Amino acid sequence: MRPRTLSGRYARTAYLFLLPAILFFAAFFYLPIGNVVATGFRTGPQADQWTGLGNYTQALADPAVQHSFLVTVVFAVLVVIGSIVLGLALAMAIDQPLKGRVAFRVLLLVPYLTSVAIVGLLWRNILDPELGVLNRVLGAAGLPEQQWLNTAPLLTIAAVTLWQSVGYTMVLFLAGLQGIPETYHEAAKIDGADAWRRFWRITLPLLAPTTLFVSVMAVISGLQAFGQAYIITNGGPGDATDLSVFHIFNVAFRSRDFGYSSAQSVLLLIVIVAFTLVQLRAGRRGEVQY
Amino acid sequence: MRKALLYLLLGLASLVTVVPLLYMLSLSLQTEAETLSANAVLVPETPQWGNYAELFTRAPFGNFIVNSLVVASAITLAHLVFDPLVGYAFAKFRFPLRNTLFVALLATLMVPFFVRMIPLYVLMANMGWLNTYQGLITPFLMDAFGIFLMRQFIQPIPDDLISAARIDGASELRIYWSVILPQTRPALAVLGLFTFVFQWNEFLWPLVATTTPEMRTIPVGLTLFNQEYFTLWHLTAAGSVILFVPTAVLFILTQRYFVRGIALTGLK
Amino acid sequence: MSPQLSRRDLLRLAGAAAAVPVLSSCAGAPSAPSAAPGTFTVYWNAGHDYQAYRAVIAEFEQANKVKVNLQKYQWPDLRTRLLADFASGTVPDLVEEPGGWVQEFAISGNARSLQDYVDRDGQAMGFPSDWQPVTVERNSYQGKVYGVQLHLTCNTLLYNKTMLADAGVEVPTTWEEFLDAARKLTKDGVYGVALNQDHTYVWPWLVQAGVTPYDPKTGEIMAPMADAVEALQFQADLIHKHKVAPVPVSSTDYSGPQKLFSARRAAMILTGPWDLEPIRKTSPDLDLGVAPPLKHKVQATQAAGVSMFVPAKAARPDLSWDFIKRITTLQVELAATKETGMLMPRVSWAELPDVRSKEAIKVFADALPEARDSSQQVRLTGQLGKWEEQLKVMYQQVLIQNQPAAEALRKFAETAGGFLK
Repeated sequence: MRPRTLSGRYARTAYLFLLPAILFFAAFFYLPIGNVVATGFRTGPQADQWTGLGNYTQALADPAVQHSFLVTVVFAVLVVIGSIVLGLALAMAIDQPLKGRVAFRVLLLVPYLTSVAIVGLLWRNILDPELGVLNRVLGAAGLPEQQWLNTAPLLTIAAVTLWQSVGYTMVLFLAGLQGIPETYHEAAKIDGADAWRRFWRITLPLLAPTTLFVSVMAVISGLQAFGQAYIITNGGPGDATDLSVFHIFNVAFRSRDFGYSSAQSVLLLIVIVAFTLVQLRAGRRGEVQY
Repeated sequence: MRKALLYLLLGLASLVTVVPLLYMLSLSLQTEAETLSANAVLVPETPQWGNYAELFTRAPFGNFIVNSLVVASAITLAHLVFDPLVGYAFAKFRFPLRNTLFVALLATLMVPFFVRMIPLYVLMANMGWLNTYQGLITPFLMDAFGIFLMRQFIQPIPDDLISAARIDGASELRIYWSVILPQTRPALAVLGLFTFVFQWNEFLWPLVATTTPEMRTIPVGLTLFNQEYFTLWHLTAAGSVILFVPTAVLFILTQRYFVRGIALTGLK
Repeated sequence: MSPQLSRRDLLRLAGAAAAVPVLSSCAGAPSAPSAAPGTFTVYWNAGHDYQAYRAVIAEFEQANKVKVNLQKYQWPDLRTRLLADFASGTVPDLVEEPGGWVQEFAISGNARSLQDYVDRDGQAMGFPSDWQPVTVERNSYQGKVYGVQLHLTCNTLLYNKTMLADAGVEVPTTWEEFLDAARKLTKDGVYGVALNQDHTYVWPWLVQAGVTPYDPKTGEIMAPMADAVEALQFQADLIHKHKVAPVPVSSTDYSGPQKLFSARRAAMILTGPWDLEPIRKTSPDLDLGVAPPLKHKVQATQAAGVSMFVPAKAARPDLSWDFIKRITTLQVELAATKETGMLMPRVSWAELPDVRSKEAIKVFADALPEARDSSQQVRLTGQLGKWEEQLKVMYQQVLIQNQPAAEALRKFAETAGGFLK
């Protein structure tokens, strides 16, 4: 049957374009996610006994779950703020007419091309207070040695995360900066605005969409960080770096409590969606139209 | 003066990003004793190029490379086919449930992969696709990030271009193929690079979905160089360097498009 | 001007959609071999691929006309893999496990009881009579055998003979002597001792202090508590009060103390036979001494080591059992020991002249009868995962973060009491 109206025809075309995606996401995302939601209501090593909301009430009252959530939020805040401040600073530096800027761009982005696992192994090796190469270098230079993995573990894995991703953020900001027409800055210069004012009045507002994109992506990936704890700290010392997703992974694969881990994943999903929606709304309001 | 400061800042930042990777290169050229030593060695006494050869004698490392290349390239190709098509539909068509579908799509970014892994594994086992290329590839044929990215790129393309083509009598697929796609070439370079890098480094799925050493990909194969209580660092590092080379080459080839590509994004 | 897709467009679209999977399946991917009748799949630790076992596998392949697919993993990866297998029902024929999984999977119904085979062949192969009793107990559930121990290890004291002689220190046998020795040995950038960041290294101390981790009859945890506090505080004091040991760093790696020892930056470490080979490799000229476990209230240590089990859904348990029999003969045990220095579970192995003649291995072998499996009672409740997680946190809070042991242990017992009921 052919749709009568033009808009009906366009809708049909759109759905035809979407068809492969709808089938694909149904089979490989929504079906498994539905399975996870269903598992969240069950318990036991085979996750085959019905427990209703038991896993959810348990999770909400579990101090370890609360603690890991707190750790994760602190980690995500560090990563989001770090990505924006460092990424923007580097982007503004590299946006200047410098020789060798392409080389800098490549060098700064290079860590992003390696896997989190290898970055983790590498930094664990470097930072080890007794065996690592960093203290060897610091000692040779007459500087005090570090014990960051023990004294500031969460900050340290956040820093390693930034080390890997800051080049990526920088490139996004750089793209945003290049999209700002030069005329705005020139007009402001004629009006006598100094560099600092131009940054706050022109650059930052016009970069709002980029900033929003960077922060949304950073929040999503920050709240889902896993490899850093899995590879570098094993969640320790104590439970200092027990990130939520790492915690859930352990509940699932070390403790083999798939019901409980599924319920926790659903709770985390709700939290991330809520964060993202709030961010998107705030971002839309903050956007300035010129 | 100001320029000197900028150079200093960028130079320092580049050092911080690059030096640890050079240390990995150094590790890959050390003897096992040097890597195991408690006094970390910065530069190996004699570079052990043989470490790279040893990878191939101790494990089917050639297979790992081929598998990684096949899987990551096939997935990248699939993304280049599907993501822009779906992104185009979301960017330029009005249809019922569009926003709902789009939010539902974005929500898939917010579930960690391992959460879906067991149901996915059961599905693949039932289809008999474990330990096959299609089993490694199919679950990753598209993703929300790529579709989101492409939607952002396609949105700024003027609607007039599309209407004009329709008036000329072009079919919808032809419009997509010869009007939309050529405009998004830089975006496709970005999408291709990101997808390839991500899949090339993927660990968990190839770990569970392969059942013979010959089908492993490089990241999973590298775990063979850990002993029960210690890591064979010289081999792990050599493998990591090999793992790094293709993504670096791909990046250097595409980086020209890179900034321009992202600059075109609406990012709204 | 039609907004619809032409039929040709549709075909082209379908072709593009199909191209990728078709291409990839053309690439000649082999089909799942675990289903193939002639393949026998074994999950093994990547560090245990010994020549001695390769020889056994070759014989096994010949005798049974099958091809062995040896899948090597790190322990955490092996577990991830295995749990996925249990969920889907496609399981391997035989699994090596790091200790403790046998009872866990016996309880959950994922491991097959081997009692029928033991009844049939036990006498001939010397099982269980020739296995150290602890290894049979930790692989049984409700009176039935579910697994067979492959290696049996334990923790004891490794020391640098030269350093002890230079400092005029006798080899310590008690905690007091140990602390005294560590103090005298700590100087010039050398630590008297290096402790491990991994919480399982707490067990020798706890069993030496006479602590029972969990008593299912009374529900008591870490009793007597005062002794458990003493044991933990003793370790923390080595690091933070006496400063004779470095602060460990939390990670998934256990090799820190061994590396310091190999580099002559620690004079003593408490560890198992797995560290012998790396020490020999990195410092062949280090004069290594191995001493019996320390004594406090009792002389004891922690039993560890890997076992093998057969998944409940494994298709050919007869073959799996044949594999187990072949790889646990005394000759194979001896060959593996000669190759790697690994310790073995047979009582008769510990009496072999080849074992008695090697000083390092002999001390370990003599300690095996004193080795206990500390987590067994917790394991049988099915709550080992949560227990281990809490224990790790508590251990690191005391050793690394220097929290008072009494408070940390009280919190631990309270939490554990909640889920062990």
